[in-house]
Amino acid sequence: MSEHKPRKTTEKKVPKAFGWMAEYQDENSLLAAARKVRDSGYTKTDAFTPFPVHGIDEALGIKPTILPFIVLCAGLTGLSTALLMQWWMNGVDYKYIISAKPFGITPASIPVAFELTVLFSAFTTFLGMIALNQLPKFSNPVFTNPRFDRATNDRFFLYVEAADKYYNRDSVKELLGGTHPDSLDEVLEDTTPSALPRPIILGTILLVIAGLIPAMIILNIRAGYSTAPRFHVFFDMDFQPKKKAQQTTTIFADGRSMRPQVKGTVGRGQLEEQDPFYLGYDPSKLTAIDTLETGKFVSLQEPKATDSSAASPASGLTSDGSAQTPAAPSATLNLPWIDKLPIEVNEANIAVGKQKFETYCSACHGYAGFGDGLVHKRADSLAQGYWLAPTSLHVDKVRSQPVGQIFHTITKGQGKMASYASSLNPKERWAIVLYVRALQKSRNADLSEVPADMVKTLDEVK
Amino acid sequence: MGKNTQTNRVTMATIANSFNPREIDNTDDIPGRRAPLVTGNQTYGSVTDIVCRVAEDAQPMLWWVLFGFSSMTAVSFLTLITFLIYKGVGIWGNMNPVFWAWPIVNFVFWVGIGHAGTLISAILFLFRQNWRTSINRAAEAMTIFAVICAGIYPGIHVGRAWLAFWLLPYPSLNLWMWPQFRSPLLWDVFAVGTYASVSLVFWYMGMIPDLATYRDRSKSPLRRMVYGILCLGWTGSSRHWLRYEKAYTLLAAFAAPLVLSVHTVVSFDFAVSQVAGWHTTIFPPYFVAGAIFSGFAMVVTLLVPLRAIYKLENLITLRHLDNMNKIILATGSLVGLAYATEFFMAWYSQNQYEGFTFMNRAFGPYWWAYWTMVTCNVISPQLFWFKKLRTSPFWMVVISIFVNIGMWFERFVITVTSLSRDFLPSSWGYFRPTLFDGLMFFGSFGVFMSLFLLFCRFLPTIAMSEVKGIMSAAAHSEHAEGAHGHNH
Repeated sequence: MSEHKPRKTTEKKVPKAFGWMAEYQDENSLLAAARKVRDSGYTKTDAFTPFPVHGIDEALGIKPTILPFIVLCAGLTGLSTALLMQWWMNGVDYKYIISAKPFGITPASIPVAFELTVLFSAFTTFLGMIALNQLPKFSNPVFTNPRFDRATNDRFFLYVEAADKYYNRDSVKELLGGTHPDSLDEVLEDTTPSALPRPIILGTILLVIAGLIPAMIILNIRAGYSTAPRFHVFFDMDFQPKKKAQQTTTIFADGRSMRPQVKGTVGRGQLEEQDPFYLGYDPSKLTAIDTLETGKFVSLQEPKATDSSAASPASGLTSDGSAQTPAAPSATLNLPWIDKLPIEVNEANIAVGKQKFETYCSACHGYAGFGDGLVHKRADSLAQGYWLAPTSLHVDKVRSQPVGQIFHTITKGQGKMASYASSLNPKERWAIVLYVRALQKSRNADLSEVPADMVKTLDEVK
Repeated sequence: MGKNTQTNRVTMATIANSFNPREIDNTDDIPGRRAPLVTGNQTYGSVTDIVCRVAEDAQPMLWWVLFGFSSMTAVSFLTLITFLIYKGVGIWGNMNPVFWAWPIVNFVFWVGIGHAGTLISAILFLFRQNWRTSINRAAEAMTIFAVICAGIYPGIHVGRAWLAFWLLPYPSLNLWMWPQFRSPLLWDVFAVGTYASVSLVFWYMGMIPDLATYRDRSKSPLRRMVYGILCLGWTGSSRHWLRYEKAYTLLAAFAAPLVLSVHTVVSFDFAVSQVAGWHTTIFPPYFVAGAIFSGFAMVVTLLVPLRAIYKLENLITLRHLDNMNKIILATGSLVGLAYATEFFMAWYSQNQYEGFTFMNRAFGPYWWAYWTMVTCNVISPQLFWFKKLRTSPFWMVVISIFVNIGMWFERFVITVTSLSRDFLPSSWGYFRPTLFDGLMFFGSFGVFMSLFLLFCRFLPTIAMSEVKGIMSAAAHSEHAEGAHGHNH
């Protein structure tokens, strides 16, 4: 800000003059003087008044402002922004399906469209006014004269700038002097030091640095790594007042937070635990010993100690693996297997079984079921004898298994073989069992079992 | 150089000597003559003196007492908000079936109060109501402070207040989704947000010339620098004034429909739902009338003490207060008409749920709230038919306080009665507020009053440049009529 000290009349250094400033007591004298100055041809003129004086624009020859046009453009921008935003956000990028209402621009878009139109227009009005007036401008030669302080109070000033092309110091002084001003001063350059005081600069720097500290801490936390537990500013749902399955509680007499099933109720999926279709055996025929064994199903998937000899690196495996097939745990598993397929034996089911077998089983067991799938061939060549071959389906042990046991093997897995329960639904698994049975039959049938008209064809194929 | 620069300057002593508020009564309308809006033979300089004195003189003892009390209340309010964020919204009485309880009531109450300022500045400006000039600044300030109080409640009612910014449409990396633009609650975010920011701009722009006056009267360099920065280096140039006036007219033209839209959208929060007693098309005009009603009442409540404490009776004259009371009377009658229309529609529609809701409001468990509302909102403003009460500062403050009590109860009745007994009688309940509800409503008055007192202390309470403008216009019209001229 400029310093307001009365200037000495005897100056050592003559400051630059910007023009003449005449002071009047009321708006009528100002208007009369302004008309006179305008009629003399000066255009670089201005008046300074405590309130907008009616008619001064005409008296000074001020042109209308283009502000309304700028604001119109801003308003239209606001309107189209609002409509595009709502159309894109709710109709394209993230569709909200609510009561079958249409997407995109609907009557429901009107409130936001209206508000954004007003918001854009209002801010442009204000900022446009500031910009067109070239504000903020804190250093202004008109401020050098302390008399000018009353321009915002009760006095009216008329200013003719030296930049005017007809400007002549003496003739302007004479012209303004003829309008009977209260005072007539030359507007002089502000010669006070313009540098900011040191404490202000220092304070600003300190404030900026202090303001950066929280941002740096947050950035460090977000971008860095730490083994310390997470710092919880807001707990959100990180710590919930609830009990987990294995925790103790004082609410129940038995101290367990996990509750046993209520008697006489059936949980979702529990019926399947009683159905041979999902199990491969008939649970109603289980004996007490069988129940113990079924309880070990999970551990059966791990190689048992008794299997270790069989699981040791096998040598001289034949392609059908018949000689060295490891003793499967299921050999010891004796459950009441069902031996009748629960699905219909027809071509459609065989086709499903074939397709699923070729998708899921053939990679190891081979298309014909000899345990010579691509995985086996590749692994065998790489592992040089350490590879345990998949079981051939054409060995007696498998041929003699009831269908329920084969289903169980697919469902639960065996040895190295994983469970396929998550990839194949029970009906598909039974279809594979059916297909395996068909495969086995194709390699182990008597000529008498072949229909008579096919015998000749067989002979030709040979 | 002129010799008589000080001759026309009215000193403080002359104001004090010539001042006698009892003699000033400009409420009579003399045919063929406009009643003066500024009394006491004011000059431009004396208007500056009267207004600047408010901030330049040492504040009266009363200011310190009020500010001490209200700032302590405001700090308690902030403490309570901190506790609320720590503990959760369960400390309030919001409970099934009334989840929209006091926080929403308080929000609508404060937003409604926040309607008067911009209405006075914008709509009365467009209608060329010159009496607005003495009261618009304080009313606009009140508007902004009321909207601040209003904005607090939805912000802390969302539960996880630190995530309140999710209300805005921003490209979120956590959510991967946008707000639902068909929801009235989202319209509310835009309406209240736009209203708050546009009101702030309107208020600030109006203050720029007066801040320049404060700057030019400053004795201390620091004060001069602060006001100099705030007024952006305003000189009073006629070229600037031209664009300024155009901008002011434009802002008024934008703010006028904005004022009407804000409470319309707030009413949509209720009207777009299907709850009986909310789902009515009368809500937007009814809410807007109520908002103007409560806003003007709050302006009267604040301005009567303000003009007495700071000796502003010559600028905020009885005529100004009289005019505001007439608006309170008109809008109060509109609100009463709306209450009657709601009952009529409940009967005329023959909708059993509507019928039940309104009978339940008047004669159900919340009958006390309903009849408090009717007494305060419909009956008390009718007293303003009497000029004696309309021009008595004491009675107008009493009535305006009653009006605001009534308007709070109106929002309570609408929100709570409809929710507590809706379509399913097995889910009915009775809302009971907790101590925190009461304290946190009271606390918002602390924020409001602290901000208003700081405004009086530091910023121009009356739009000096506008008052001088209408003084000039009045002098010119008298010149034109050949009557007594402006003294110069």
